[in-house]
Parts: sequence; C-alpha cells; structure tokens
Amino acid sequence: MGPLIPNGIITGDWNFVIAILLGIAFGFILEASGFSSSRNIVGVFYGYNFVVLRVFFTALIVTMVGLLYFDYFGWLNMSQIFILPTFWQPMLVGGVIMGLGFIMGGFCPGTSFTAIAIGKIDGLLFTIGLYLGIGMFSLAFPLFGDFYNSGNLGNVTVSDITGISSSWLALTFTIVALAAFWVTMLIEKKVRKRITEYKF
Amino acid sequence: MNRNYIILTLIMLILAIGTIFISQRQFTKQVPPEELLWDVLQPTRFVSTDLVAKRIIEKDPSQLLIDVRSASQFESFSLPGAINVPFDSLKTSAAMAYFGNPGTKVVLFSNDGILADEAWILLRRLAYKNNYVMKGGLNGWIQTIIRPLAPAETSSEKVIEQYNFRRAASMYFIGSKTDVNKSQKAKITFVKRKKSVVAAGGC
Repeated sequence: MGPLIPNGIITGDWNFVIAILLGIAFGFILEASGFSSSRNIVGVFYGYNFVVLRVFFTALIVTMVGLLYFDYFGWLNMSQIFILPTFWQPMLVGGVIMGLGFIMGGFCPGTSFTAIAIGKIDGLLFTIGLYLGIGMFSLAFPLFGDFYNSGNLGNVTVSDITGISSSWLALTFTIVALAAFWVTMLIEKKVRKRITEYKF
Repeated sequence: MNRNYIILTLIMLILAIGTIFISQRQFTKQVPPEELLWDVLQPTRFVSTDLVAKRIIEKDPSQLLIDVRSASQFESFSLPGAINVPFDSLKTSAAMAYFGNPGTKVVLFSNDGILADEAWILLRRLAYKNNYVMKGGLNGWIQTIIRPLAPAETSSEKVIEQYNFRRAASMYFIGSKTDVNKSQKAKITFVKRKKSVVAAGGC
C-alpha cells in the first residue's frame, strides 16, 4: 500500500498538507517533552537530565520496529522508502560541529523554534545565529564544496553495509535503548540528589 | 520503579524480538491479480517470429532470447544466441539474473509457445517487466522463417515483401537451400564446329 504518494493512493498535492501536520505534531512533541528549555536539552551532557536521549531513542526504536511490522503487514513497501545518501566524511565533521553548537547554544535547530514559540529570548538569539551560520556557509561554500560532496556511499542503510538483517539490528537497538533508559534513570537519581532541582 | 515503565519496556522488547520471526517469512514481490490479468490480455506481450528474426540478423543487443525448454532439447536445436533456462529452474537466482534488467527485452520461446507463455505469466506475477513471448514458438519459427509458404501471386505487396524477408532470413539461418527454378535454367548447347575440310587435290 504505502508509501501513499509514490503509489498514487493520494496525490502529490497533499505533500504540503502532510508536511504541516507532521511539523505541528513534531513541534508539539518537542514542546511536550520539554525541549524548548535548553537546560533540559544540555542536561544530557552534564548527566542530570536524559530526556533528550529517551525521547529520541524511543522515536528511533518505535519507528524501526514499527516499519518492520508495517512492511510485514504489507502497509508499507520498504524498498520504496527514500534513504538519504551517506557522505561519510562531511557527515562526521558536520556531526562534530553540530555537537559543539548543541552544547554551546543549548538547542538543536528544531528545538530552537519551539523555544521561540513559547517566547524565549535565548531561542531567538540561537535562531538568529543559526541563519547567520547558514548564510556564512552558503557564501563560503566554494571553499569546501569538494569536501561537502566527498565520501559518497550512496543510499545505504546499516543493514546494507554490514549485511546484518534489519530485524536483528532493530532488536539490538531496542535492547541498547531500553538498557540506556534504565541506566540513565539510575544516573539521574544519583546526580539529582546532589544538585538543586531546577524548575523549568 | 514505576510499573508503567516496566510494562512499556517489556512490550517494546517483545515487539522487537517479534521482528526476528516475521522477517523469516520471505515475501516475494508480486503484482496484484487484476494487473496481471490486464497484462495477460495485452497482445503486445507477443512478438512475431519476423521481428525476432530481424533482431537476430541485426544483432540487436537489447534482445535476449531465452529458451525455456529442457537442456536436451536446447542442445539439439535452438535459436542462435539463445540462452537455455529450463522451465523448472526458472526461479533459481542464477536464472532470475536474466530478467528485469533495464534496456533488455527478454523473448521467451518454447516448442509451441505454451510453456513460454506459462513462464511469462510466472515472471509477470513476480513483477518482472519487459518480457515477451515469441508467437508460435519454435514450431512457428520453422513454419514462418525457415520454411515459409509462398503466398498466392495475387497477395498484397506487404505479404509478398514479408515472404521475401522470410526467405532471406531462412537463407541467413540455414544456409542457401533455396529452390532453384529449373525452367529458367539456360540450356547450354554445344555446337560442334564442323571440321573444315581441306580441299582435296590441288596442290
């Protein structure tokens, strides 16, 4: 059956409607998880709040396992799903830059918008910086354009590269994620005893 | 510990373990029956022996001939350049590599066309495109290309042209074994020259 638009079940005109609905849902979940507070977000690096890890790991394992079941029931054709091409070197460097920005700014791009939505000044400043960075990147693009396009591995998944079946990967990730949930809960308990509880 | 967390953890774990069992069921890609039925009814899935012959003569690289008869039959006679994929080994992975390649038109044939037709339906059901059946099979090939019947002299120009092509193709495939019209043979007569008689007598 799915994906809906490539298989002609609904027309491509629905693209923007779906994008808006998904965007609203995404923003709602981010806000509901407390991601519009940078203290909540960077807490993962200091060890007093692992909500980021929990929310994203939950999304990851639910999606992984869910997609496998959808494929099994014939609701979604996995071979038709678009997989972003992997440029391994630029992605590694980009991840490092992103991590630095994340811990310094206290937001990631999506959460900075939810922070603006509830009227936070730090979120607004972060977003201004975000656009400045995008502008600088665009202007300086010729300097590292070659690097930007290097190391293309194509549209591959972990299971394509390693040859491990996706269900085993899903199980592994689920076990790791569930273990992380319980371990971080214990860490939080220990750390939070020593620090004053923040009111977010 | 919160009891809800424990329940959620267990549900997630069971679901994740469940994926291992479901993935072992191999689902082959297949077209829906309505689509298959529609495609079966299309006459475009057949190619004529003339077109196949033309492509063989032109050495068209996009044509891939697949003989679905048994290996022994294939060895005794087949079309030039054909590959033998016996019907019972059609679904092996080695055989499947021939089908569904972009830019190639796979032409299936057998003795009468029925076996090739069955193979075509199997392949279409497995969602392979660009497969064709040679109309009439090898019997049709013999009747039309190798031993074409001469049309009536009053036939249209197109039919006569087709006949001429078939005769030429026949020569291409089996060598020049054309019937020579004996009536047109020029009769060679040897005329003996009369010996010139030297005049007797005289000096």
